[in-house]
Amino acid sequence: MGQYLVRMLLQVVPVMFLISIIVFVLVHVTGDPVNLMLPETATEEDREILRAALGLDQPLYQQYFVYIKNVLQGDFGNSFHYGEPALPLVLERLPATFELAAVAMLIGIVIAVPCGMISAVKRNTVLDVIISFLSVIGKAMPNFWMGIMLILLFSVSLGLFPVSGRGGVEHIVLPAFTIGIGLAAQMTRLIRSNMLEILSQDYIRTARSKGLREVLVVGRHAFRNGLIPVVTIMSLQFTSLIGGTLVTETVFAWPGLGQLLVTSVNMRDMAVVQAAVFIIALVVIVCNMLTDVVYRYLDPRIKYN
Amino acid sequence: MKNSRLITVLLLVVLVLSACSGNNGNSSANNGGNSSTNSEAGNGGSDSGRTGDQAKLVIANSADIESFDPHNNNNTYSESVIINVFEYLVKNGENQEKVPGLATEWEMVDDTTWRFKLREGVTFHNGDPFTAADVKFSFERVAKDSSLKQNSYFKHITEVKIVNDYEVEFITEYPDPILLNRLSKMGAGILPAKYIEENGIESFLKNPIGTGPYKFSSWTKDDRVVLVKNESYYGDAPQWEEVTFRMIPEAATRVSELLTGGVDIITGVPVTDIERINGGEATKIEAATIQRVLHLLMRMTEGTVTADPLVREAIELAIDKQAIIDSIAGGMGTVTRTSVTPGNFGADPGLYETSLFDADKAKQLLQDAGYTNGGPEVTLSASTVYKEIAEVVAAMLTGVGFQVNLDILEPSKFTETYNSKGFKELFILGVGNSLFDASNNYNRFLLENAAGETDYNNPEVEELLQAALSNMNPEERAKQYQQVQQHIANDRPTIYLYQMQGVYGVNKRINFAPRLDEMFILDDIKLAN
Amino acid sequence: MEQQIKKRKTTLWSLLWNSKLGSLGAIIVLFVVLVAIFAPWIAPYDPAALDPIKRLKPPFWMEGSLPEHLLGTDNLGRDILSRLIYGSRVSLIVGVGAVLVSGLVGTLLGLLAGYYGKWSNILIMRTADAFHAIPSLLLMLVMLAVVGPGLTTLIFVIGLTNWVSYARVVRGEVLSIKERDFVRAARAAGASNARMLFKHILPNIMSTFIVLSGMNVATTILMESSLSFLGLGIKPPDVSWGTMLSDGKQYIATSWWVSTFPGLAITITVLGVIFLGDWLRDVLDPRMKAND
Repeated sequence: MGQYLVRMLLQVVPVMFLISIIVFVLVHVTGDPVNLMLPETATEEDREILRAALGLDQPLYQQYFVYIKNVLQGDFGNSFHYGEPALPLVLERLPATFELAAVAMLIGIVIAVPCGMISAVKRNTVLDVIISFLSVIGKAMPNFWMGIMLILLFSVSLGLFPVSGRGGVEHIVLPAFTIGIGLAAQMTRLIRSNMLEILSQDYIRTARSKGLREVLVVGRHAFRNGLIPVVTIMSLQFTSLIGGTLVTETVFAWPGLGQLLVTSVNMRDMAVVQAAVFIIALVVIVCNMLTDVVYRYLDPRIKYN
Repeated sequence: MKNSRLITVLLLVVLVLSACSGNNGNSSANNGGNSSTNSEAGNGGSDSGRTGDQAKLVIANSADIESFDPHNNNNTYSESVIINVFEYLVKNGENQEKVPGLATEWEMVDDTTWRFKLREGVTFHNGDPFTAADVKFSFERVAKDSSLKQNSYFKHITEVKIVNDYEVEFITEYPDPILLNRLSKMGAGILPAKYIEENGIESFLKNPIGTGPYKFSSWTKDDRVVLVKNESYYGDAPQWEEVTFRMIPEAATRVSELLTGGVDIITGVPVTDIERINGGEATKIEAATIQRVLHLLMRMTEGTVTADPLVREAIELAIDKQAIIDSIAGGMGTVTRTSVTPGNFGADPGLYETSLFDADKAKQLLQDAGYTNGGPEVTLSASTVYKEIAEVVAAMLTGVGFQVNLDILEPSKFTETYNSKGFKELFILGVGNSLFDASNNYNRFLLENAAGETDYNNPEVEELLQAALSNMNPEERAKQYQQVQQHIANDRPTIYLYQMQGVYGVNKRINFAPRLDEMFILDDIKLAN
Repeated sequence: MEQQIKKRKTTLWSLLWNSKLGSLGAIIVLFVVLVAIFAPWIAPYDPAALDPIKRLKPPFWMEGSLPEHLLGTDNLGRDILSRLIYGSRVSLIVGVGAVLVSGLVGTLLGLLAGYYGKWSNILIMRTADAFHAIPSLLLMLVMLAVVGPGLTTLIFVIGLTNWVSYARVVRGEVLSIKERDFVRAARAAGASNARMLFKHILPNIMSTFIVLSGMNVATTILMESSLSFLGLGIKPPDVSWGTMLSDGKQYIATSWWVSTFPGLAITITVLGVIFLGDWLRDVLDPRMKAND
């Protein structure tokens, strides 16, 4: 186990290194940030001074070394919009986004697991077709559109939930459902095909041929084994989950990382963008590692090799 | 067995995730729990999320403030919030006349020296008294630190002399006819000298204090700013216990919040929602003219098609400004041929509420200019903020024969191109005026500033503008600017599309009269009845 | 030989005929493609022709509608039907174009990694991991902010973000094909690398490629609309369903038709693509069922 973790970590380091290069390249072809940072009245001299202060007059490889050295010390530079270090700005947004993502994931699981199972067991029945159809629609509907519709229906017309913002439990319902429904649609399809594969496997056929009742077959054998891949499926969704928060947080004025990113990208506040991309990538990688560990824990047949 | 193991793990993951995120201390106390005593809760019939407490006010803006540093902010909505925390020496009265703020009296000693008597008995929110030292500290900071966004408005202040604890003298590098205008705008906010010197600016920005009627309570970025009543305010007792400025980027979401009673005032109402809000049981629309005038700037650089005055005139005549107001702005706007609108120093009323539009003559002008087959090709740039207007202007220009390339840029790209003066023939720009003075409108046409942008070059105008910059005789100065306006209207380095209006959605429990300067002066916002 | 091909074709057709959802998908996709191709002949109006006086008129069955604008007009008085018809072009061009770009890049890198192995494998697969860890919408957002939005940039940005899945799948395929008898035999016979790639390996991964692409076209069309919402989509005078949808979002409560029709167009098209894609997967590559 320990050895396994060390090996995982050894894999993470080069990936993070590559991410640092991707981010660096992205930011440094942005063109000249100086024009955005100075007022229109600035003279060419002012610009030169600022460029020198930011190290932009250095050759690119040298800028990269300075950058990577600072990143290793947790210094992503200052946000020119907020005039504060970028990393804390990003970190203080994580809780809000985690909260939203966790609840959305929970909603996704609660909808998708039963739907996917039923769909597979009742394959090719009306129920299956309906579930499949709904899940495709859920997948095909743009996120922000669904969000605005949910607001109009559940807040404005029915008055059940607050429209926007972060606060009590009631505030999270609509944004979490907006992400959760899309997630559920995706996961239902995956769980269904997973289940189908399991149902066609030998031990299920054996169980059936032994004359066990269908409920028992499904309940005892298929269900249990069908659940394990859910963990993997969850890990597949982490990236799209974070991606979903970009749009949803803007619709619901949810003060998380997604909104910070959207405003920072729009303002070209690249220090914040860099820090955020870095942190998100790290979170995704760690989540994937964790699910991998959990998966191994659940399914002892897999050895650490 | 395996099942329960799995479920435990899943639950644990969810628990850990939500525990990580559980520490949002300032959950919106004003929402949720306290049920409304108000009969006119949202038209949905439910009062969930309603701002129940009578003495609490919630205002929703489309963007967050930049910071709590009044010297380092450069947009109107930041000022509209922090103006309640930091006060100016001089305030704008109802008609932009200057009235006492933290200064009670002032006089001009000579062309470059002004003396101010300061209000006594004023304290900062931490109890420190407000004295001349704070004035000196504040203005010398904003005047000398060129990295501050407001520096350019104040850098000619060479010194602030302390005469005694309650009297100061401002020394300027050259005669400045609009010093008072500068002292009553963003950037002139008075900071606590002692507090900042002891604790440093960073700690001050985390816990800002001023002298205003409202105190800082909390700021969750991209979410909300909460201000609370300053119990020891020297003026009339502030009337709101707590005021929350929420940041809601989506217009549709803001409107929904207003309709459900989640917030009391929203900014930037889409014109299509006006009817809906006015029709709401508990909501109404308030609109007021604001300082922002939409410009269509034209490049006069030799060799460009817009260097030809006939082409520029054709452009002005081709655009039906009133039609733009009536359609896109929902009737909320005023046509104008000057950007110095009423309420600003140097206004020429003859050019206000008037516009030129004659599509046939525009076609003729293009013929006269030699474009007999195929009109001139122009590129029209605009930020996505003004996308609709740009599309309509482009269609109108196409209508008289222009070949228009529409170039819509997202705001930061627009700013970047603007700052590097990189636009081609035409671009649309919304220009505000926080100084309430014509100089703010026309300095862009000084030779030095116009070079590379419009390349406008009229020696007469240059002379008038230079003279007006430091002319201490108000009447003469006003005439100079009125002459400039006539020149600009004829020369057309820019034409004006219209003066905009601020459209607000307001809950009927509130009386709110929107202001020309777009500020939220909290104590002017009252409970109805 | 010829007969064999014919037979295969008939089975494909009959297979499609037998799958109800598959044929529904095929019909939808075919319809959209035809509309896109023949847009100038079908569309009643110029999609950019605006008339502010006739703005926000409802579709024909509602009160206050104008008979000449079947699906009503948008915020600038443009004909929504015409814009939908023209919008299909951009949505399809972006969808197909981006998928081609990512398919090309991903396949090439996957081939390299799988065929040559060693350091190229390590470098490419680690880069794929790195890309995979950054949400694609975020990556696109940043890239678009850098290069500026537009039709071509949009295609390349979406394309260059989504290559990872191709690279992974293709590499896997190559690794397994490499071990098969006919490839070993060809190699033993001294076939050149290029010949190996193009003659033996590429044809074998074709089906995988098609299946993956079907799914990616759907996500790409959705991505385009999300990017429009975030302000980095197609710019006028070009029109896409995504921009129509996001421009109309502020009128949802007052003039629902402005955003609902493009929303429906996106949903139905994506639905069609997914149905067709599912069917293609079942037919071409049953093994892929498990990993969507």
